[in-house]
Amino acid sequence: MSIEQAAGHLIGAAGAASTGSGILWLIPFLPFFGFLINGLTGRRLKNTKVVDAIALGSVGISFLLTIYFFFQLVALPESSRSIHQNLWTWFDLGGARVFGGLSTATIKWAYKFDALSGAMAILVTGAGFLIHLFSTGYMSEERNDGRYYRFMAYMNLFVFSMLNLVLGANILMMFLGWEGVGVCSYLLIGFYFDREYAAVAGKKAFVFNRVGDFGFMIGFFLLIMLFGTVDYDTMMGMVRNLSAAPSITLFGHTATPTFWFNLSACCLFVGAMGKSAQIPLYVWLPDAMAGPTPVSALIHAATMVTSGLYMITRLNFIYVQAPVALSLVLLVGSLTALFAATMGLAQYDIKKVLAYSTVSQLGFMFMGLGAGAFSAGMFHVFTHAAFKACLFLGSGSVIVACHHEQDMRNMGGLRKVMPWTFASMGLATLAIAGVPPFSGFFSKDEILWKVFEHGWNHQGTFYFVCWGMGMLAAFCTAFYMVRLMAMTFFGEYRGAGSDPFGLTVPSEVHHTSDDHAHPHTDAHADAHTNPGLHVFDPQPAEELTDHGHAEHAHGPAEVPWNMWVPVFIFGLLAVVLGFLNLPPSLGGNEHFSKWLEPLLYQINAPEGHHAAESIEYGLMGFAIVWALSAMGLAWWIYITDPSWSRAKAFVKRFPQVFEWVNAKYYVDEFYDAMIINPIKQLSAQLWSFDTWVLDGTVNGAGRFTVMLAKASDWFDAKVVDGLVNSVAWGLQKSSSGFRTMQSGQVQNYAFVMILGFLAFACWKFLA
Amino acid sequence: MSMSSSALLMLLATFLPLLGGLVLLFVPNEKREIFQKGAVAIMVASFLLSVPLWFQYDRGSDAVQFAYSVSWMPSLGVKFNVGMDGISLLLWLLTTFTGPIAALCSWGNIEERWKEYYIWMLVLQTSLLGVFIAQDMLLFYIFWEVMLVPMYFLIGIWGGPQKLYAAIKLFLYTLSGSVLMMVAIFAIYFLQHKTNNAYDFSIESFQAMAPVIAQQTKAFQVLLALAFFLAFAIKVPMFPFHTWLPDAHVQAPTAGSVILAGIMLKMGTYGFVRFLLPIVPDGTKMLMPWFLALAIIGVIYGALVAMVQKDMKKLVAYSSVSHLGLCMLGIFALNPWGLKGALFQMLNHGISTPGLFLAVGIVYERRHTRMIADYGGLSKTMPIYATIFMLMTMSSIGLPLLNGFIGEATILMGTFQTWPWVAVLATSGIILGAAYMLWMFQRVMFGPISEVNTKMADLNFREIAYFTPLLIMAVWIGLYPKPFMDIMDKPVRKLVLQVQPDFFKAEALDAKQAEAAKVGMHGMEATDVKEHEAVPAEHTAKPSAETATPGGGH
Repeated sequence: MSIEQAAGHLIGAAGAASTGSGILWLIPFLPFFGFLINGLTGRRLKNTKVVDAIALGSVGISFLLTIYFFFQLVALPESSRSIHQNLWTWFDLGGARVFGGLSTATIKWAYKFDALSGAMAILVTGAGFLIHLFSTGYMSEERNDGRYYRFMAYMNLFVFSMLNLVLGANILMMFLGWEGVGVCSYLLIGFYFDREYAAVAGKKAFVFNRVGDFGFMIGFFLLIMLFGTVDYDTMMGMVRNLSAAPSITLFGHTATPTFWFNLSACCLFVGAMGKSAQIPLYVWLPDAMAGPTPVSALIHAATMVTSGLYMITRLNFIYVQAPVALSLVLLVGSLTALFAATMGLAQYDIKKVLAYSTVSQLGFMFMGLGAGAFSAGMFHVFTHAAFKACLFLGSGSVIVACHHEQDMRNMGGLRKVMPWTFASMGLATLAIAGVPPFSGFFSKDEILWKVFEHGWNHQGTFYFVCWGMGMLAAFCTAFYMVRLMAMTFFGEYRGAGSDPFGLTVPSEVHHTSDDHAHPHTDAHADAHTNPGLHVFDPQPAEELTDHGHAEHAHGPAEVPWNMWVPVFIFGLLAVVLGFLNLPPSLGGNEHFSKWLEPLLYQINAPEGHHAAESIEYGLMGFAIVWALSAMGLAWWIYITDPSWSRAKAFVKRFPQVFEWVNAKYYVDEFYDAMIINPIKQLSAQLWSFDTWVLDGTVNGAGRFTVMLAKASDWFDAKVVDGLVNSVAWGLQKSSSGFRTMQSGQVQNYAFVMILGFLAFACWKFLA
Repeated sequence: MSMSSSALLMLLATFLPLLGGLVLLFVPNEKREIFQKGAVAIMVASFLLSVPLWFQYDRGSDAVQFAYSVSWMPSLGVKFNVGMDGISLLLWLLTTFTGPIAALCSWGNIEERWKEYYIWMLVLQTSLLGVFIAQDMLLFYIFWEVMLVPMYFLIGIWGGPQKLYAAIKLFLYTLSGSVLMMVAIFAIYFLQHKTNNAYDFSIESFQAMAPVIAQQTKAFQVLLALAFFLAFAIKVPMFPFHTWLPDAHVQAPTAGSVILAGIMLKMGTYGFVRFLLPIVPDGTKMLMPWFLALAIIGVIYGALVAMVQKDMKKLVAYSSVSHLGLCMLGIFALNPWGLKGALFQMLNHGISTPGLFLAVGIVYERRHTRMIADYGGLSKTMPIYATIFMLMTMSSIGLPLLNGFIGEATILMGTFQTWPWVAVLATSGIILGAAYMLWMFQRVMFGPISEVNTKMADLNFREIAYFTPLLIMAVWIGLYPKPFMDIMDKPVRKLVLQVQPDFFKAEALDAKQAEAAKVGMHGMEATDVKEHEAVPAEHTAKPSAETATPGGGH
C-alpha cells in the first residue's frame, strides 16, 4: 500500500463518519454579517433599535441554527456524530517528515460540528445572545453618542471569531478564531479608548496573548512536522500509528514519540496559558476589567478564556500521549487556582474579585484536564460559564444601579432594592462556592475527585499536593464570594453618605471623567501607592458629599427587564446545569461525559488500585463541610458584624500579609522590572547603536570620502599639478636662457654662426 | 521574433507611464489639475493593461512567458529580452497596482513644481516595471540603476528638511552595492566566454552557468556570492545595511515612501531569488550561516528599534527592516514553502506597509508633524481613519483573516523545517511586532484628545479611494490566498531544483522510508489496522489499545 493510499484510507475513514452539510457555515457567518452591516452602516443609523435588531438577530438565528444542528447530531449514531462543511482551500503549509515524506499540508477553510464543538457552539451563541440582550440595557447610555453601533459590531465580530475557534475543523481554523477573539478582546477592553488605562489594558491583553501565541505556533509547527496535517479527523486517525512508532527523528534528533508529543503539547499549552490566563501569563485578565461589563461576562468569563481548555480537550488525543505535558497542565492549573483565589480575598473592586475568581476557576478546569479527566474539566467550563456570566452581569447591574461605582466599600444593602439581581447572584454564589445541589458543586467536586483518585490509583504524592491546593482554593472561593455578596447586598447602603462605620472610600467615579464614566477599574494606583490602608481611612461624611453623591439624589434601584432577565436565566442555569453530569455515585448517569466520550481518549488506570466508593462519598461530604465552613467564616466576619471589625483586626495583626495579597504579590511590578523595562532599555541602546555605530559608519564613510577627496585635491593641486607645473617652470626657466639668444638681430646670428663654424672646423680638422 | 499580443500588452503597460510622462512635458506648468489627473489616469491605464496578463499566464509551466526578444548590441551579446515568470509577474502586477495609489495620494501634499513631480513619478514607474520584465542582465542593470534617478529627485526636491542628505545617501549607498553586482556580472560574463566562447547577457545563460561556477575555486564562489549579496542586501535592506532606509522614508514625500516600501525594497528580495540563488547556489550555501544570522538579527533588531521610535514614519521604516528580515529567512530556508512564503510576504508587505505610510501621510498633511507625542485620541474625531489604520496595523502584525498572517505562517513553517531554532527566534518577533505597532496605535489613536487634534478632519473621498484597493487586497489575500500562491508554484519549484537539485529526490526517499516504516508497523499490529479501517473515525479516536502505547500511563 502506498503512502497516498494509506493517507487516503485514513482521511476516508474520517470522512465516512462525518455528515456533510451545506448550511453549517451560516452559524459563524451570520454574526459576521451582523458585524459588517452594523460596522459599515451603523454610524449613519439614527435609530439604535436597528442596530439592536441586526446584532441580536444574527446571534439569535445563529443560536437557533446551532440548536437545530445539535438535534441533528443527537439523531446520529453515537460513533458518527459529526457534521462538517468544507468551504474552500485556504492555503498550503510545509508538511511532515515523519510519515508523508516532505508533503504539503493543505489547509481548508472548513467547519466541523461534533459533540464537543457543538456543545461549545451552544455555549457561545446562547451566552452570546443573552449577553447581547443585557448589553442593550447596560450600554443604553452609549446610544446617544454614536458609540453604540461600534460596541455591537465588535461583539458580533467576537461571536464570529469564537465560533471559528470552536467549529473550525483544523488547528489553523482554531488559530484564526484564537487571534480573532484576541483582537475583539483588545478592541472591547479598550472600548472607552479615550481613557488611557483602558487602552493600556487592551494592549496588555493582546501582547500577553501574543506570548502565548508564540508557543501555540511552535506547537502546531511541530504537529505539522509530525502529522503532515492539521486536520483533527486525519490526525486522530494517524495518532495511534504514530505513537506506536519505535522512534521518530526530526531535525536529526531521534526520540520516542512520547518525547515529541510532550514537546508539542507543552508548546501548545503555552498558548492556553495566554488565552486562558494561567500563571505566568494571567496578569492581563484582571486589567481587562477596564472593558464594559458585558464584555467581561462574555469574553473574560464565559467564552474566550475557555479557549485554552477547548484546545486541549480538542487535542486530547495528543495530550494523553504526553504525560509530562499533562502533569504541567495539572501543576499550573493548581497553582493558578490557589494563588488567584487568594488574590481575590483582598480586592475591593467588585469586578476585580470576579476577575481573580475567573482566573482561579480556570485553574480548576486545567486541573481536571491535567488529571486526564477531560470531560470533568469541560463540564466545569459550562457550569462556570453559567454562574460566572450571572455574577458578572449581576455585578454590571449593581454597578449601573450604584451610578458606576465599582468599589464594594461604597455599596451595601442592595438586596432590598434589587431583589432579582440579588436572587440570581445569590444562586450563582452558592453554585461557585460548591454547595449542593447547585451546579458548581458537581463540576468542581468531580475535578477534585479525579485528581485525588489519580493520586490514589498511582500513589502519586504530586497529585495529592495538587488536590490540596485545589481544596484550599475552593475554601478561598467560598470565602471571597460570600464576602462579595456581604459587602454588596447586605448591611445598609453606604453610597448615599450614610456610613456609620467609616467603611467607604472616596469614589473614583466622579474624578475620572466628564461623561458617564464606566469608572476607573485600574486599581493599580490605589493598590500600589497606598496598599491596603483605605480600610482605616476614616472618611468624613462631608468629604463624601463633596465628591458628589449628592447629585444622585435617587438611590440605587432595580435595573430594567432586559438586564435582569439574562442575569436570572444564567442564575437558573447555575442551579440546574449540574444535573447534566450527575456522577453514578449519586445515582446519576453522567450525560455530559457520555456525550463527549466518543471524542475522548482515556488514560487507562492500571488495575487493582481503584479508590473505594466510600472514599468518594467521604470526600464529597468533606467538600460540603469545607465550603460551608468557609462561607460561615465570611458570614461571621462580614455579615454578623456590619462594622467588619474582625477583618480590620486581622489586617492590623498581619499588615504584611494583607499588603502582599492586596497588591497581588507585586507580579505586575516584577514583570515591569524584570522584562518590560529591560526590553525597553535594550531597545533604546540598540537605537543608539543604530544611530551612532551603524549609521555613524555610513556617515563616517561619507566623511572619509570627502576628506580623501580634499586630500586628493591638495595632492592634485600641490604634488601632481606641482610636478606638471614644475616641468613647465623648469622649461620656462631653461628656455629663458635660450630665449635671450633669439634676439632677432642679424649680427648676433652671424656671430653665432661664425662661432659654430669655427667650432666645427676645429673639431673636424684637429681630430 | 514576432511579438505575441500578451507581450505587447506587457510592453505597453510597462512603457505607458514613460510615454505619458513625455506627453505631459508639453503641458504648461501651471495646469496642476491636468498633471494630477493625467498621472492617475496613466497609472490606471497601465494597471488595466496589466490585468489581462494575470489571466493569460499559464500556471502549469515554469518557463518565462510573454517572452519577446530583439537584438540590441549583437557583438556584446546584449538583447532587448523581456518576459516574465510567475514570480516576476506577481511583483510586476503589484507595481502597476501601487502606481495609481501613489499618484492619487500626492494630490494633497505636493504644493509646488507639479509638472516635474508627476513626470518623475511616471518615469520611476516605468523603470520599476522594467526591472521585473527584463530577461537580459544588462537591460536589468540599466532599469535597476535608472530607477534611482527619479527617486533621487522625488526625495531631493519634494522631501522634508533633510531631503538632500537622505536623497544622496539613498543614491550612493545603493549605487555602491550595484557596482559590486556589476563586477560580479562581468566576472560571470567573461567566465562564460572562457567556457563556451560566446558572449551572452541573457539571464537564462547566466543561470545556466551555475554548474560551471560550482567548479571554480571556493574563494571565487564566495566572492561572487558576496558581491551579489551586498548589492541586494543593501536594497532589501538587511541589517546592518539598512540605515539609509529610515532617512529616505522620513524625508520622502508620502508617495515616495509608498513606492520605496511597496516596490523598491522588493527589488532586493527579487534579486536574491532571481540571481544569487540560481546563479551561485554553492557560494550561497557556504555563506549561509552568516546570511541567516543577519536575517534573524534584522527581525529582532528591527522590531526592538522600532519600539523606541518617536517618529511614526521611522517606526514603520524599522518595522520594514524586521518584516523583510523575515522574508529573507524564508528565502534562506531554500525549500518550496519558505521561498513561496517569502515571495508571498513581499506581496503582503507591499500592501500593508504602503497602507501604513499612507496613514501616516494623512495626519502629516493635516498637522505637519509625524511625532507620535503630538497625537492622541484621534479615534474620536476620525473614526473612518481609525478603522482603516487599525486594519492596516492588524495586517502588518499578521492577524489571521488578513494577508500578513498567511505569509508569516508559511515563512515560519518553511523555515522551521530547515532551521528550527532560527524559526523559533523569528516567531518571537511576532510578540515584539504586536507590541510596537499597538503601542504606536494606542498613543496616536487612543487616550484623551488634545485641543489642536479635535479639529482634524476625517478622510475625504479621495483618501478613502486610495485606501480601498489596499483594504480589498488585504482581506482577499487573507481569505483566499490560493491564486497568489498557485501562480508562483512552478517557478518556485524550478528555483528549488536550481538551488538544491536533490531536494525532491530526498522527498521521494523520505516517502519510501516512511512507507517502509509504516509497513513495518502495520505488520506489528495487523489486527488493529483492520479494526481501524472498519470503524468510523470517532471510534479510532478511542482505541482500546491505548494502554499499550508508551505515553499512555502516568
